[in-house]
Amino acid sequence: MNESVITYNVFHHVAWGTPISIYFWLVGASAGSFVISSFGWVFGIKRYKPLALTASLQAIILLMIVPVLLIWDLGKPVRFIYLMLPGYWHSTGPMAWGSLLIFSYPVSMIVYTYFVLKNNLFWAKAFGIVAIVLALSTHWYTGVVMELNPGRYMNHTALAPILFLTGAFISGIGLLILILWVQNMIVDVKKRIEWPLIEEMAQYMMYGIVFDCFLLFLEFMQTLYGNRSEMISHELLLGVFRFPYLWLEIILGLLIPLFILVSPLKKQKYGVILASFLVAIGVYGMRVWWVMGGQYMQTFY
Amino acid sequence: MTESRNDEESTAKKHHNYGIQTPGTKGIAGTKRYAMAIDLRKCIGCMSCVVACKSEFGTPLGVWRTWVKVADKGHYPNTQRVFMPRLCNHCDYPICVRNCPTQATFKHKDGFVLQRYNRCIGCRTCVVACPYNARHLVPAKRTDKNLPHSVVDKCTFCIHRVKRGMLPACVQACVGGARIFGDLNDPDSEVAKLVSKEPVTVLKPELGTSPSVFYIGGDWEIMDEPHSYENRTSQLKEEFNDFKRNHEGDAFGDIVEGESTMYHVSKNMKDFIASIPHKASDVIDAFKRLLFK
Repeated sequence: MNESVITYNVFHHVAWGTPISIYFWLVGASAGSFVISSFGWVFGIKRYKPLALTASLQAIILLMIVPVLLIWDLGKPVRFIYLMLPGYWHSTGPMAWGSLLIFSYPVSMIVYTYFVLKNNLFWAKAFGIVAIVLALSTHWYTGVVMELNPGRYMNHTALAPILFLTGAFISGIGLLILILWVQNMIVDVKKRIEWPLIEEMAQYMMYGIVFDCFLLFLEFMQTLYGNRSEMISHELLLGVFRFPYLWLEIILGLLIPLFILVSPLKKQKYGVILASFLVAIGVYGMRVWWVMGGQYMQTFY
Repeated sequence: MTESRNDEESTAKKHHNYGIQTPGTKGIAGTKRYAMAIDLRKCIGCMSCVVACKSEFGTPLGVWRTWVKVADKGHYPNTQRVFMPRLCNHCDYPICVRNCPTQATFKHKDGFVLQRYNRCIGCRTCVVACPYNARHLVPAKRTDKNLPHSVVDKCTFCIHRVKRGMLPACVQACVGGARIFGDLNDPDSEVAKLVSKEPVTVLKPELGTSPSVFYIGGDWEIMDEPHSYENRTSQLKEEFNDFKRNHEGDAFGDIVEGESTMYHVSKNMKDFIASIPHKASDVIDAFKRLLFK
């Protein structure tokens, strides 16, 4: 049998790198924390009202970084405005929809937060509904951007938006728990968020982790079915992306937090905090390999 | 008879419209469909097509509109060297055109997939979407300042030459006559005859993009995608690293084989810091570039 070795080839860039991974993580964490913020004011769960302001402020701040990252990453930064001009806007490009969402989501969120501050239930609820739809859509679209690349086998799956949304939910809660923990150390005793509420959020996070594991299992079933995607997923899981994929996402970001949250450790404060921290960074690992993995494998093609 | 002619005319008219998503024109009477056949039995790997393309467009170092992949096969004394010229496939159903958010990429009615530099924002969605890696971002630094920079570029099938009745630069320069270019819808053209008579293959047919670059006598091992990343040599890796070091502003966008991104960025922090504007004068220069260029 003949063996062949590629002796000359050209190299193709991985066009989307770290800024895009950070951006996906930020949007996800923002959407996740906004979901928690809306529990009190939109869905009427009163015990969540005290943390609504912190959660929505976190969502706004995280999302403020996004345009800076994205515009800086463009080849022609000043031309970002083309994404919103009618003569340029392209309806079949997921990024064209995404740019509208990225600019409308923070606006609705700021208006919602204003009415939360004013304690106006009616308008807070109305804008909260709009903002939550936009929050979910903003993150859903990041999954769609990755999904609609048929040539990148690892990304081309209809599971992508659901995986991204689940990641958003758990990383948003994880980050929010960390921030509430810090906030509790700073503010007066009266204003502190009660620990049982944070434990309840951790419980939601645990459900999210279980669902994420299920999605990951579905993904493995598809990719490890013996065609070229099996080889690619092997290389990604155990090769270059071993650290973000296997260690950060699966072991540190899903399995260890799951173990903490189903064991007696969940009753301990630092157990919950450790699980939240691990989930937050674990989801970043997922963003890294999702953005760069599919492209990386084809840099030599 | 009259009815069928009317049908043909109406179809042709429908397909004559310009537009960013002009429907595929392969085999539609009354339309042109430029295509290229690459006869790999004649390719000698001289790279004159690559050089001709580079000199035609002044393509910067490190990026290519066309390139030739080389593989060595077998064991001594039964060895063989095979070649694989690559370029944009000018698909009938291009994914890059659909993905572009600013309509910078469009499909010409004659089958060319083209890029409008004045519309391109350099978001690189099309680079990610292209299954053939045929697109690249033009580096910010170019010797000729009048040429476009920081936008996505690709092979144009030399439309500027074809519209003047000339052949694309790579076809003109091919010493073995391995590259054949013409109108696929014209049954008398050389390319149409070759494609209809010879056994041809296209790259990634399963994606349904309907490429317009046909390969005759292709070697499966060099055409096979997983094979090309199974056999990466350390020499290639080294070249890639050299290229990275010489390429401006790529501290983020690339990763090197064998290293995770975060590890790579932290290991090359010195390069990374050197590549971002951290002195006051650099920041002022960067702003000037941003605002006035």
